[in-house]
Amino acid sequence: MSDGAAAPGRFKKPVKVTIDGREITAEAGLPLLQVALDNGIEIPHYCYHPKLSIDGSCRMCQVKIEKAPKLAIACNTPVADGMVVDTQADEVAFARKGVMELLLVNHPLDCAICDQAGECYLQDYSSGYGSQESRTTSPRRKGLKRHPIGERVIFDQERCILCRRCVRFTKEISQTDELRVFGIGDRSHIGTTAERPLDNDYSINTADICPVGALLSRDFHHKRRVWFLQEYESVCPSCSNGCNVKLGIYQNEIQRLLPRRNDAVNDTWMCDHGRLNYHFVNDETRVRTALVRDADAAFATTLDAALESAAERLRGAIAAHGASAVGVLGSPHLTNEECFRLVQLVKAIGTPHFDMVVPMGTSDDFLIKAEKAANARGARAVGVAPGEGGKDARAILDACTSGELRVLLVVGSRDAALVLGESGIRDAAAKLDALIVVDANRSPLTDAATVVLPGLVWAEKDGTLTNHAGRVQRIRKALDAPEGLIPEGALFPRLAQLVGRAAAPPAFDAAATLRELAQAVPEFAGIGFETLGSLGLELTQQIPASAAAAAEPAPVQA
Amino acid sequence: MATNVVKVDRAALKKAGGAFGIRALLVGLSVTSRHFFRNLFGWIIGKPQVFTVMFPEQDIAKPPSFRGMPVLVQMDNGKERCVACGLCEWACPVDCIHIVPGETEDAIERYPKIFDIDMGRCMYCGLCEEACPEEAIVMSSRIEISAFSRAGTIWHKSDLLVPVDELPRRLDYVRLGYQR
Repeated sequence: MSDGAAAPGRFKKPVKVTIDGREITAEAGLPLLQVALDNGIEIPHYCYHPKLSIDGSCRMCQVKIEKAPKLAIACNTPVADGMVVDTQADEVAFARKGVMELLLVNHPLDCAICDQAGECYLQDYSSGYGSQESRTTSPRRKGLKRHPIGERVIFDQERCILCRRCVRFTKEISQTDELRVFGIGDRSHIGTTAERPLDNDYSINTADICPVGALLSRDFHHKRRVWFLQEYESVCPSCSNGCNVKLGIYQNEIQRLLPRRNDAVNDTWMCDHGRLNYHFVNDETRVRTALVRDADAAFATTLDAALESAAERLRGAIAAHGASAVGVLGSPHLTNEECFRLVQLVKAIGTPHFDMVVPMGTSDDFLIKAEKAANARGARAVGVAPGEGGKDARAILDACTSGELRVLLVVGSRDAALVLGESGIRDAAAKLDALIVVDANRSPLTDAATVVLPGLVWAEKDGTLTNHAGRVQRIRKALDAPEGLIPEGALFPRLAQLVGRAAAPPAFDAAATLRELAQAVPEFAGIGFETLGSLGLELTQQIPASAAAAAEPAPVQA
Repeated sequence: MATNVVKVDRAALKKAGGAFGIRALLVGLSVTSRHFFRNLFGWIIGKPQVFTVMFPEQDIAKPPSFRGMPVLVQMDNGKERCVACGLCEWACPVDCIHIVPGETEDAIERYPKIFDIDMGRCMYCGLCEEACPEEAIVMSSRIEISAFSRAGTIWHKSDLLVPVDELPRRLDYVRLGYQR
């Protein structure tokens, strides 16, 4: 993203440097601090961030370099051949202690009420390199507390150490320039002008990169101590960019999403919408039991009974009108493995009318993509598309309102409901013999459905998602599903079996399904849980041109 | 290492005490009886000779180092001193503390919306008190935790609040620890 003073890749010549007696080969021109960190040598730092330009304002990363007249900051010193560096010298320790003392002169030390406590660089370095006692007697300077600096971010001026990471972020990454340093000398402070609060689409990233508790996410404010969170590596489900995230879980509830570094996808950033879009997992719209509608009254039933009821209606329609009286709408929110099982179910039913509705929205030239579903690209690759002579999504929905189709199976109903509209849903419900909906959350379509089969949300299942560029990335089960519910990947084969057109399925196992998928779909060749790692892999083949036209994202801004 | 070996002449002991240890039995009984009668008369004349407290009507003054139930310190304005920082919850070895933090408009912006201690689980180790940066949770001299149900052993915030005026000795004792 950002080109610092020494961008990696511009210099190719390797140089040899010695840090703490270890000889290290590195690319010339890389910051000494980055070389040290890459080689597992800790140098404390606040203002340096690998994805931002170099500022050199915190002075914490000072090291002793042989033949240099005085200590130098490691972040703004490019490595050079023959450089001998000492990070453990007495004068380095003395300098760090001095820096810590100055940073803490006006720090309020309100760790007990600070959300950053536990992942605060000031705490860590104070215990590691600072002094245990304060020598100041004058009162600490007062500043703004809990200042609403933006719609989603809270600012605490007293805690700020003026590292200017946030200022550089709004300048270089979000390019919105809301944050500035105002005042001079010891009166300088971070702020916004009155008419421009910090409310860009990426504003909560400033809370992530803030090394102290000065900028905080309002969503996570006073919510949960970070040391109680269990973190799971996952992928953001809110658009097709597939930003890598960490889920913070406490007692089977998502507390927050944090971006996870993946230079091929999202560097270390994510958008605010994606970060805050997790409340659907556990809100009042969640479908927790199977429903079967009989004479206008929906009643909750067991999953088995609902599956049997759905299968009976499918069987009936196939027997009376043939398989092409059944329409199936898949979902771009499903994992690759579940899409694969859905394709098998559709093949078992034998209908060509199979497609999906991909929700579209706004996009920008950075991370936010127009396709508001995580796996549209993967679903297409696996084969969620009309068969020979089959209708596409729009035509399937029209055929429902016109009465051409007798039974509609919808997976992930919200987007289809939006396409149909209120009157469309009424017409479809009146004309169809049965409307079978598989979804994790309520929508106008589940309200009108004959049979509702509860699904799971992305945080409750294992699997892989394919982003807009064809990168297959792993999601992990971080939450226990509501009692009695099974993943869609297990639901579809059971339905296929009950319709009477498939053998009894083995228990759903995402890893095994992906192996099967990799053999069946050439694009997925070589992709498996063991090869994906935490950063994912690109699909082996290029997107077919027709599918690419719809999926083509705006190029990521360089 | 030198060991001191005492030789016991079991045969002689047996002979002195009779074949079935009757002498030892009588010695024991006489001690018990002596105390019984002394206490009985002492109680009648109002001068009991032994350390027996008629709990729960009577209680003893416990030393400040006594670790009874952990309680929350209530400030003069009626609010708790606790800011829900979660350190006691983290320090608790038996996970008997459950806190849900919340936000207020006060100068101290954070407070515990819920602060529950499962006294049935608490082992009175005092680590919560040691971890607390606000002197907000202290070990009191209270020891009565019995309840008729498991739910009854969970003490909520309102049950746990004790005015700061009632806890000066323990708070002074806690402050002694800072110098260690």
